[in-house]
Amino acid sequence: MPIVKLNNEYLTRLTGTDINTIRSNLPMMGSEVEREEEEQTDVQFFPNRPDLYSAEGTARALRGYLGIETGLPKYEVKPSGISFSVDPNLAKIRPFLGSAVIRNVHMDTVMIESLMGLQESLHWAVGRGRKKVAIGVHDLDKIEGPFSYIAADRKTKFVPLDYDMEMTMEEILAQHPKGKAYAKIVEDFDRFPLIIDAKGRVCSFPPIINGELTRVTEETHNILLDVTGIEPRAVSVAVNILCAAFVEMGASIESVNIEGLETPTLRPEKRNVSVSACSELTGIPLTAERMAELLLKMRFGAKVVNENTVQVLVPCYRSDIMHDHDVYEDAAISFGYDKIEASLPPTFTVGKPHPVQKLYSLVRKVMVGLSYIENTPFTLTSGMVSYGMMNRPENPDALHVLHPISEDQTIIRTDILPMLMESLSINRSRELPQNIFACGDVVEKLVTYPKMAAASIQTTADFSMIYAVVDAFCRMMAIPYVVKESVDPAFIPGRCGDIYVSGKKVGVFGEINPDVLAAFGLEHPVAAFEMDLRGFVESE
Amino acid sequence: MDLTINEKRVLAALGESGSVLAETLAENMEAPVESVVQWAHLCADKNLVTLEKEVTGIAKLTPEGEKYAKEGLPERQILASINGSIPMSELTKNPLSKIAIGWLRKKNWITIKDGIVFTKEDIPVGEDETALKHPVSGTRACDDLVKRGLVQVSDKTAWKISITSEGAELAKEGLDLREEIVNLTREQILSGEWKNLPLRKYSVDTLPKKIYGGRVHPNQQILDEIRDILFEMGFTEFYGSIVQNSFWNFDSLYQPQDHPAREMQDTFHLGEELPVPDGWEKIRDIHMFGGNTGSTGWGGEWSYDVAKKCVLRTHSTSLSIQYLAKNPNPPLKAFSISRVYRRETIDPTHLPEFEQLEGIVMDKGLNFGHLLGFFKEFFGRMGFEEVRFRPGYFPYTEPSVEPEVWVDGLGWVELGGAGIFRKEVTAPWGVDCPVLAWGLGVSRVSMLRLGLKDLRQLYKSDIDWIRSSPVRRV
Repeated sequence: MPIVKLNNEYLTRLTGTDINTIRSNLPMMGSEVEREEEEQTDVQFFPNRPDLYSAEGTARALRGYLGIETGLPKYEVKPSGISFSVDPNLAKIRPFLGSAVIRNVHMDTVMIESLMGLQESLHWAVGRGRKKVAIGVHDLDKIEGPFSYIAADRKTKFVPLDYDMEMTMEEILAQHPKGKAYAKIVEDFDRFPLIIDAKGRVCSFPPIINGELTRVTEETHNILLDVTGIEPRAVSVAVNILCAAFVEMGASIESVNIEGLETPTLRPEKRNVSVSACSELTGIPLTAERMAELLLKMRFGAKVVNENTVQVLVPCYRSDIMHDHDVYEDAAISFGYDKIEASLPPTFTVGKPHPVQKLYSLVRKVMVGLSYIENTPFTLTSGMVSYGMMNRPENPDALHVLHPISEDQTIIRTDILPMLMESLSINRSRELPQNIFACGDVVEKLVTYPKMAAASIQTTADFSMIYAVVDAFCRMMAIPYVVKESVDPAFIPGRCGDIYVSGKKVGVFGEINPDVLAAFGLEHPVAAFEMDLRGFVESE
Repeated sequence: MDLTINEKRVLAALGESGSVLAETLAENMEAPVESVVQWAHLCADKNLVTLEKEVTGIAKLTPEGEKYAKEGLPERQILASINGSIPMSELTKNPLSKIAIGWLRKKNWITIKDGIVFTKEDIPVGEDETALKHPVSGTRACDDLVKRGLVQVSDKTAWKISITSEGAELAKEGLDLREEIVNLTREQILSGEWKNLPLRKYSVDTLPKKIYGGRVHPNQQILDEIRDILFEMGFTEFYGSIVQNSFWNFDSLYQPQDHPAREMQDTFHLGEELPVPDGWEKIRDIHMFGGNTGSTGWGGEWSYDVAKKCVLRTHSTSLSIQYLAKNPNPPLKAFSISRVYRRETIDPTHLPEFEQLEGIVMDKGLNFGHLLGFFKEFFGRMGFEEVRFRPGYFPYTEPSVEPEVWVDGLGWVELGGAGIFRKEVTAPWGVDCPVLAWGLGVSRVSMLRLGLKDLRQLYKSDIDWIRSSPVRRV
């Protein structure tokens, strides 16, 4: 989730209240105050509310929540008379375009920073790292309409932002920091997206970089917005959120004619919602009037239609309202979660443990009774620990993760014993004897199943000792077993046995091979056993 | 007065007025001198005897001294070999002459004139020669022999042990000198003989040896406590596979296919695929346009191939939804505590796997207030008295909430997320009543309860920490 840095002075001015009131109310609106500083407040908002990712958007919501200004924000959109064409060759590259003209802009440094911050957060939250949506903001007075969004030759040259020389688009991808960062999105296409003005001057190379020509400064008073992307709804959301923020700055919005369509309209979406359904979902007793009042505080338009229906106007920037339940949640937030009557669910049911967990509980009881201490090791491990250090061949059924984060976690364990050896290794300076066990899930192929293992390190640890423990464990667990000679290379030859139940091998025990001890840095004998518990789970 | 058998033996051996050397006492008691001195010191602590320390030098011949004690000092041997006079050149041929000549001259036993050595007659036995037979430390003769390296003197500590009047009194009264019994035998117990035996008393001031029994891991103990609370509240436990396809881990929970959490930097992806269940088209429609749920859906495309791809479950909600799909009829209360996997680098507060508690309550007439009520009860039973609720966001719940508990010294601590499953989540499985759902990071609860600063301790545990963590927490 992005951290939005809000300038305290600007935010309080836009909201119309003091910073402490703001800070104490933000968490109850659904955000987290990450850091409070003299000049700035860092806030984390949820990914479903990109409209809050700026001081302007936050202030708009706060004014409603605090009752300073409620109801639907009104947006007047006049046509700018400027048109924008979209090249059909972009259909497979980056087909969708949104745009707007913003007039009467008077931005100081704080406002410019706020705008840049919003742009970055939208690139992350709505744009999925610019792939889905990318935004360009231009000084309109440096260029002339009509504008064209075209699929351009990769060798087209212009001066990118922060540079003072012309570069081809290919060069930008190879050399410009932004080019290198986002090249992946476009590099495989034969032609690249480009926005040019009436005179063929380059405004921007979406989704990579703007031209230096249209750089926005404190002297900028009229802005052309371009939003390009691969999903029309996301493109339109980004345009709406940006335009709404500009309105909070005091600017006015004009529409652009894109291929015959005047856009944006910034019009709200109409929804009739049910008062009783809202009450039933939230547990808040409501009348239609009360519900409308709550929604006005959340900056919806809200009008009582009848005693069970409220007509809601959803502001154009609220992309998260997908279902009536989303409106009901806002009513609940507006009401205050702390004021909702909390009562236990009256549902009567009888509880019971899952057979696998029940089995684990029994294993714990028996092993603790035998003076073994439980370990709860990781299930992520490596082939090195599980097989290499154990002197065993790789298990072809082990599941490998595709992009491991470290060499220590490349597979999901197929055995638990190596985890115990690792634990003995970690504790090698601790007092002996150490008797440890673990029970838990392992995975082979795609199947998760239960296993247990135990190990004892002490000067007297040997085959007979661990045989006695296996025997005691199996007797207590009512597991009828027989032992056959084993050739497990993790153990000393002639000092290990396989455990069979109903003719099937379910485990192994014995004295750990000194080569294995050496691999784990252990200096005393270790006797150990491991068992597959699949056969002993009660049926559900 | 409580006396050990040995202390009593010392007093008895000293008798009524005894004052003897420890060595003598040891001889009488047939015990090593060191032990007798140790017992006497214990008696002295009780004012029953006094000890006086005497340090004496013991003179002992060196091997060279032993030799001369038998054969005579070199000068005496040379003297005996000369019959009146001998040329010096002749005398120096005798191997003893190197040592002897100096001493012969020093003792004035010879005179030398013109290279001829003349002996004196009737030279008496010197003090040093007497001392060589029986050296006594502290005499001048003995000191001379020490200088010549023929005698060595070492210090010897002797203890003189005297009984005090108090001790004498006790000795007079009579002492029970039978051996003390350490371990009772079967016969002594059965016959009742133990009643008449002197049983050794143990000092409560001697600390016991530390022993460690077997035990359940502290983290598991907390998980079991949580399980017990939920069983008490009527919940049934569910369990499932570590490996899930993206369909169950994400798509069925209305997480859009381009959601950042699904990307490889956050989730452990696997090369394997698992089939998507029948009815998947409903999920596709919901994602694309809301299906028949009244939702707008996410828009965009939905790929069957993406849904098949396997991941290590990133949350146990993937198990909840499958449990719900199998049990779509109310009422239902179920939970699971399972390992979940996130592609995080290991540090004190982040691990790539940890335990998550996941629960659902499904019934007609349930609402958001019931979810909050559940948390108050549940956290209260876990020992968290103060609970508050903040709005939250999860793609699969609406309304959503983040419950927080008050922890002294830390403030409000977020313990997880919850909400009511969205229609987009429940509708495809024929579930038509509200489903309260929550997921809690129970490893965090364990850290708070166990006072840990480092999550790794839960999974790579120091055995001394496990041994020393009390089972009962206060």
